[in-house]
Amino acid sequence: MGAGILALTLLSASGLPNTIAIRLENPQSTHPLFKVVGWDQIGKISTQATHFGTDQWHTLFAVYVDSGSLDDALPPILGSYRIEGDALVFQPRFPLQPGLRYRAVFTSASEPITFRFDIPESEAIVSTTVEHVYPSTNRLPENQLKFYLHFSAPMSRGEAYSRIHLLDERGDPVDFPFLELDEELWDREGKRLTLLFDPGRIKRGLVPYEEVGPSIKEGETYALVIDRDWRDARGKSLKEDFKKVFSVVAADRETPDPESWLLTAPQAGSVQPLSVEFPEPLDHGLLMRLLEVMDTQGNFVEGSIQVDRNETRWGFTPQQPWRAGDYSLSVDTTLEDLAGNRINRPFEVDVFERVEERITTTTVSLPFRIFPR
Amino acid sequence: MSLNQSRMGLCALLMAVLFTTAAVSIDYSSSLKAGKAELQSAGPLAFGPDGVLFVGDSMGAAIFALATEDTVSSSPGRIDISGINEKVAALLGTSADQILINDMAVNPASKRVYLSVSRGRGPDATPLILRVDASGKLEEFSLENVKHARVTLPNAPDPEAKNRRGQSLRLEAITDLAFVDDRVFIAGLSNEEFASKLHSIPFPFDKAGSGASVEIYHGAHGRFETNAPVRTFVSYEIENEPYILAAYTCTPLVKFPVSSLTAGAKVMGTTIAELGNRNRPLDMIVYEKDGSQFILMNNSSRGVMKITAEGLDSYEAITERTDIRGVPYETIDHLKGVQQLDRLDETSALILVSTDSGSLDLKTIALP
Repeated sequence: MGAGILALTLLSASGLPNTIAIRLENPQSTHPLFKVVGWDQIGKISTQATHFGTDQWHTLFAVYVDSGSLDDALPPILGSYRIEGDALVFQPRFPLQPGLRYRAVFTSASEPITFRFDIPESEAIVSTTVEHVYPSTNRLPENQLKFYLHFSAPMSRGEAYSRIHLLDERGDPVDFPFLELDEELWDREGKRLTLLFDPGRIKRGLVPYEEVGPSIKEGETYALVIDRDWRDARGKSLKEDFKKVFSVVAADRETPDPESWLLTAPQAGSVQPLSVEFPEPLDHGLLMRLLEVMDTQGNFVEGSIQVDRNETRWGFTPQQPWRAGDYSLSVDTTLEDLAGNRINRPFEVDVFERVEERITTTTVSLPFRIFPR
Repeated sequence: MSLNQSRMGLCALLMAVLFTTAAVSIDYSSSLKAGKAELQSAGPLAFGPDGVLFVGDSMGAAIFALATEDTVSSSPGRIDISGINEKVAALLGTSADQILINDMAVNPASKRVYLSVSRGRGPDATPLILRVDASGKLEEFSLENVKHARVTLPNAPDPEAKNRRGQSLRLEAITDLAFVDDRVFIAGLSNEEFASKLHSIPFPFDKAGSGASVEIYHGAHGRFETNAPVRTFVSYEIENEPYILAAYTCTPLVKFPVSSLTAGAKVMGTTIAELGNRNRPLDMIVYEKDGSQFILMNNSSRGVMKITAEGLDSYEAITERTDIRGVPYETIDHLKGVQQLDRLDETSALILVSTDSGSLDLKTIALP
């Protein structure tokens, strides 16, 4: 059955003109409804309508985003149709967008009937901020690998690299310092973005490194600037700009050595944290995930982690008071320092100078003892 | 051999006799079960055989195989749609700044274009698959009741399982995928450790043997060796052996044989070209023209490159400082702003190109 039969049905209608209207119900809910009411022919199509395809419904009633440009090429919005009593109902697949205008067009045999609906702007206030940028230190190695940008609320994807700027001492932007991936590296909640420096400008021997050098240079000072125009997931801009100024020290090509870490264990019966101090800052994201406290039976000890002192100290507060005895700190060897050097492998292995180490993702274990009071 | 296997063997023999040119094929779509495909995100796309569409779901740490059952060319011809982003937004009842077109793939069977799209830009965005043909008709490919299969990325963090302290910040972004030699290859990049993983998962997914992950390395001048994440890749045969041509995030173009990608292997790509600084390779396709094979690659800032694929097997690895040594390539000057690239047919490619006005256009171009 095609639209032709439908048109025929309408043409056969007679009598006085009806007052046909289009209403929008629940415009700001998740289930808005556009309803055509006052159409006296609705009874005649109700049987046929159960077989209508999308194209047939569109010849009768369609709702569009009204851009104001009268662009007929824009398709009607997705949704489902039904007849409910005396009303022809269209339910959009998605909620209506605050701030947009929608055009609903009912096409009967005579003149098309058009209604326009404005959806009010969202009243959400501007409140999202950059809470923190890791590393916390303001002295970064020339081969710094990444930043973690933490936001107070979920952010919008697709504009990160146009909102993040690296400025040199003169305030001029550094060209292409970061690896710009279409797949922006967010966490699942959209509150943390991982920003990698261009690895081609970190790794020695590659064209980018040889031609334009590292993104940041030893002895110089830079500012990482995040501009407030970046929109959060609600479409609102950030509350304010964010700026992190840092100076650059020599490249770090050494692997972190757990043997050099200082473990300070509390006494039995307390819930004071185990403290682990590192001689250099380590990667914040990985510190939150790759260190564990184990008992002698190999069970994980439950507790919470605190990382502070510019990521040079890791603290572990147990849920239950410490019991006297032997424990160990289990460290996944994929733990990285600021330059991406892992415990079992530097960021770049100079195969001329060192025997390559076996690549594994095992752990190293640092024993410690909790003494009785 | 069981009776069933004997029958299948006989059947295969008959098929081989009847269709002497066609190899006996697996019925790929029979492994797919009807139901709702619960994608958490829709990222990279790749077509396999029989109209099976693979979708990378980074948020769900999974790959979906969807039976599009779209295996007949419906409306062949050029596809030229200006402002496709505005049309997608209109279809989804929103504005262009509230959608993202994440990837584009041409179904080789039907020549329809499939788009992976996010409606919304926040973490609760709705993933959708849309498709468009030469007539310009844009429609949703519904995920509500579709024959599909899902497989979790090997060694991926379980999206449901938070770690013991309630955090689940780690995610592996799927940057590209391809179907090669009955396996789906997936390039992924973690949002924490700088690890390079190329996963391979046999398809159909329920086939014995789970996926394998290999670590990919890159040696600059044979001296400095790093774990090197693969940004984009394409498969290509050299003397009937499948190879992967891959572009690293640090820009070199490398090759490695698919046969080297076994579980736990450490694979070092052979550098065949360095593509210059301040540039990101985005997509690659392989095609044949005038009896020669070429690779077409779009880049973030160095335009579209046409690379001679002849004799890649005999190219010596680049081991010295260089910019454009290695395989010869030319830059196609008139193609600017190409964000996505896929082959449409034997003689043309489809591009998604951004214009100065900010709109995105789908365009058919002749393969150069």
